[in-house]
Amino acid sequence: MTFAQVLATELLKLRRCKVTWFSFAALSLGPLAIALFMWIVRSPGRAAQLGLLGTKADLSGVEATWPSYLSTLTLVVGMGGLLLLAFIVAYLFAREYVEGTAKNLLVLPIGRHWFVLAKLLVAALWWALLVAGVIAETLIIGLALGLPGLSATTLRGGLHDIVLVAAVVYLLSPLVAWIATLGRGYLAPLGFALAMLVLAQVFGKTGWAPWFPWSIVASFVGSVGQPVAAVTASSFAVVLLAFIAGIGATIAQLRYSDNQQ
Amino acid sequence: MSADAAITTRALTKHYGEVTAVDALDLHVRRGEIYGFLGRNGAGKTTTIRMLLGLIRASDGEAEVLGRRVRPGEQAAFARVGCLVESASAYPNLTVRENLAIQRRLTGSPHCAVAEAIALMRLEGYAERRAGRLSLGNRQRLSLARALLHRPELLILDEPANGLDPAGIVEVRELLRSLAREHGVTVFVSSHILAEVAQLADRIGIIHEGRLLEELDRDRLRAEERRYVTVGVASPERAATLLTAAGFDRLERVDGEIHVFGAEERRAEIARTLVGAGLELTELSLVREDLESYFLRLTGGAP
Repeated sequence: MTFAQVLATELLKLRRCKVTWFSFAALSLGPLAIALFMWIVRSPGRAAQLGLLGTKADLSGVEATWPSYLSTLTLVVGMGGLLLLAFIVAYLFAREYVEGTAKNLLVLPIGRHWFVLAKLLVAALWWALLVAGVIAETLIIGLALGLPGLSATTLRGGLHDIVLVAAVVYLLSPLVAWIATLGRGYLAPLGFALAMLVLAQVFGKTGWAPWFPWSIVASFVGSVGQPVAAVTASSFAVVLLAFIAGIGATIAQLRYSDNQQ
Repeated sequence: MSADAAITTRALTKHYGEVTAVDALDLHVRRGEIYGFLGRNGAGKTTTIRMLLGLIRASDGEAEVLGRRVRPGEQAAFARVGCLVESASAYPNLTVRENLAIQRRLTGSPHCAVAEAIALMRLEGYAERRAGRLSLGNRQRLSLARALLHRPELLILDEPANGLDPAGIVEVRELLRSLAREHGVTVFVSSHILAEVAQLADRIGIIHEGRLLEELDRDRLRAEERRYVTVGVASPERAATLLTAAGFDRLERVDGEIHVFGAEERRAEIARTLVGAGLELTELSLVREDLESYFLRLTGGAP
């Protein structure tokens, strides 16, 4: 009952919230941008007419096929998603400090962990809707472009990878929530997310890639070389550990630390 | 800790590094009373309130609210507490009604509580307006409505008059009085404005540099309004000797003047004594020291 009430209020807080629309707009640019590259690659003459954009599209080495389209989208959902979901989670948690409402929540006769769990569930729902929307957009654009190589196996494999990487990205978000409650503002969590993206690239090129949570995403989506075939069980364990640690740290931060605004 | 206490603190202390914000504070707020917590800016009022509400941890000592010890993460004590800490705050994208609906849900209050709180704080005309578009005064009203919505037994209010116009201040004062007198609500209200607290509180605790300097009831506060005769004279030392010899034994020498206490009706006698001895009087006036002066004197400020 308590959790349901807290969750209902967390959803109500998103009413008239421009950030939700911004996040949809930001992620929906991914399939559009990839589709544009595909279209240019399929028409080299037009690519040449487009000058720099055409050259870049050629240089990217993208094939105008369904497997390539879905694979690039996995990269966008993985690396772009790390940043976008960090933005969403930072908004959900840090807004309470920025808008001065954290003190109102923390003096309620409700366990503070419920707020953490409800906000993370809202982030999960938000992220799931974003990814679902992007998948639908991808299918529509891909079919409209008439890309070759569409089969049930390709589609299933591509969607599996997108959903998998979206899930891994989500599992890393509680650490951003912790930084947001620690920093009591938007800057710290977004800075943290950016720093992790950089470190993901650095560690991704070393032997630590399977052990550094953000590099696991980078390796899987191929942002640090050829994509790895699958996320290993040990890497999953690392991500799961990061998820649990993030939730635990956020709850502990709200429960035991000084909460000033 | 006694059963009639709404708030009790024992040696409550908060350090921030080397700074002691609250220093061994012993408070005892009785149920049903209005307790004014008075102090200048930075005296430790808000830090104390934050500790009472479990927003920050005490470095030492303990606090009890409505019979329950305040401990990190233990929220049950706050089921019957309404509060307003520092500035008014609300979700700017939500309307007044929606902001209160959040509080209603989270406190398990009935649906009618939102409309009641809106009516109580006279926010009917703003109920569908987004909180981000409210004036400072109306945001403060919204915060008070949120604090009152679940009909708390104890109200902890940090500078509740902030942003309110004079009519609003009177309205809130009357509301708090009525809550205390008619509904037995205990009100713990902090302020740096003595006149505001003096008009409202049954008892006043004065905090300065983290320490509770004095705790007094309203009658005693009134008694502290000092009256004295100020005597300006070229030779204050000789004048003091003459006045003492004439039976004026409560004298204070301040900046070349003499303050004679208990002599409001004996001003003519003072004049005769000094002029008769050949001293030239430059001033002879009755001074009534107001409560603000008393407060400033107590906390080490001017005058």
